[in-house]
Amino acid sequence: MRIFFRYISLLAGILLLAAGTLRAGEEKTAFNPKELVFEHLENEYGWRIALPGGKHLAISLPVIVRSKKSGWHLFSSSRLTDGAGYQGFRIAPEGANAGKIVETDTDGLERRPLDLSVTKNVLAIVITAWVILLLLFPLVRWYKRDPLRAPKGFLGFLEKIIEMVYAEVIVPVLGKDARKFGPYLLTLFFFILCSNLLGLMVVFPGGANVTGNLSVTLALALCTFLVVNVSGSKKYWRDIFWPEVPSWLKFPVPLMPLIELFCALTKPFSLMIRLFANMLAGHLIMLVLVSLIFVFGAMGAAALGSSILFSVLFALFMGLLDVLICFIQAYVFMMLSTIFIALAREK
Amino acid sequence: MALLEPEFGLVFWMLLVFLLMLGILAKFAWPVILKSMESRAAFIEQGVTYTREAIERKKLAEQEAKSLIEEARKRQLELLQEAKKTSQEMVDEARQAALDEAQKVLDAAKLSVEQMKKEAESQLRREVGKLSLEIAEKVIRKDLDTDAAQREMVEKFLNDMEQVN
Repeated sequence: MRIFFRYISLLAGILLLAAGTLRAGEEKTAFNPKELVFEHLENEYGWRIALPGGKHLAISLPVIVRSKKSGWHLFSSSRLTDGAGYQGFRIAPEGANAGKIVETDTDGLERRPLDLSVTKNVLAIVITAWVILLLLFPLVRWYKRDPLRAPKGFLGFLEKIIEMVYAEVIVPVLGKDARKFGPYLLTLFFFILCSNLLGLMVVFPGGANVTGNLSVTLALALCTFLVVNVSGSKKYWRDIFWPEVPSWLKFPVPLMPLIELFCALTKPFSLMIRLFANMLAGHLIMLVLVSLIFVFGAMGAAALGSSILFSVLFALFMGLLDVLICFIQAYVFMMLSTIFIALAREK
Repeated sequence: MALLEPEFGLVFWMLLVFLLMLGILAKFAWPVILKSMESRAAFIEQGVTYTREAIERKKLAEQEAKSLIEEARKRQLELLQEAKKTSQEMVDEARQAALDEAQKVLDAAKLSVEQMKKEAESQLRREVGKLSLEIAEKVIRKDLDTDAAQREMVEKFLNDMEQVN
């Protein structure tokens, strides 16, 4: 417990120092918490890594856009830094397309081209995928060497997680279909878990708000939606289009079929929103708690000190809670996907 | 708000990377991992069953051995007791036989003694009769009528004497 408090005071000291340097440069740029928070939560072209002393290390990423008038373009994101324009493209500073690449169309209006850029989140997704492959292939190698020996150390821990997902959720729910859908559900679980945990890391390979981005959760929910509906049994489809209710509910106005269809759509929708909202909220609350230090820091030393103590303690608490939430959300997404598949497979 | 608008590019890359990863893992990783885990679980379960059976069998064997030893001990005790009884019986029998034999010998001896006694008595009686007759003859020197009447009288005297004795 004493060590714990020592860490807290050390952390507070570092933050105090950081706040001091920020106050020194206050005359130039006022601290805008809203801007800071949303900049961290949103996707960006290139990946800026903050270094001590107010500098940035920018990782340039490829921008891939297709304009209606000039076709495909591929260039580095470093060409668009600080509002610079390149080949007719620039990052819109404000308006409906703020933060996105736009071009001025022939009619003089700002339009967004088809944007397939490798952004910060795309890189984070690729990193996550690499991390998962690097985690799982040593286990595969171990099993190929001797399938009957239990792996030890970290691989044993990994196997326990796989077992917890596969043997305790997928097999009991899906039964003999477990081998068919297990790979998808396990990949889903590991992807969400790794993205969530990497998102909690503050420094480079992590820190991106991947699973707190609606596009990502949309893609994941879409996958589950497709798996559920492609593997749906005859009964599943009959329950949607011709459910067992009094016929006046189905004909001439297909009231129940409409409701059932809506239900089938809300399932992946709820998956999408749940993961997105939870992870976004986790990132948001941490950023807001840290921003509080800087907001109150402007009011003098006493306010700064107390806000540091308050914010650090709360941020620590929320961070630990977030680790739990990262796991729970991955588990819930996987479990609900399993249940939806099992419901659709019912004979 | 930009946060709530899905971005086509990101969805595209996300699906691409995710499906690629799913393809690689589903082809090379998950089947191996799941199969190994299942086969190991089955192996362990089988091992547990075997061990349990072996323990059960060992227990049964132990019980059997114990009962066999118990039985053997009981049998031994029985045999010992029987032997003891038999020997006792034999001794008793021998003793009885000896006793019977001795009794028989004794009885025979007694009988012969009796007989001899009787014979001796009768002989003695005869001798005594004869002697007394001779004595009487000599003493009285008297001619007596008949031998038979004399002998009867002597007999009577002797009987009287026996009764007195």
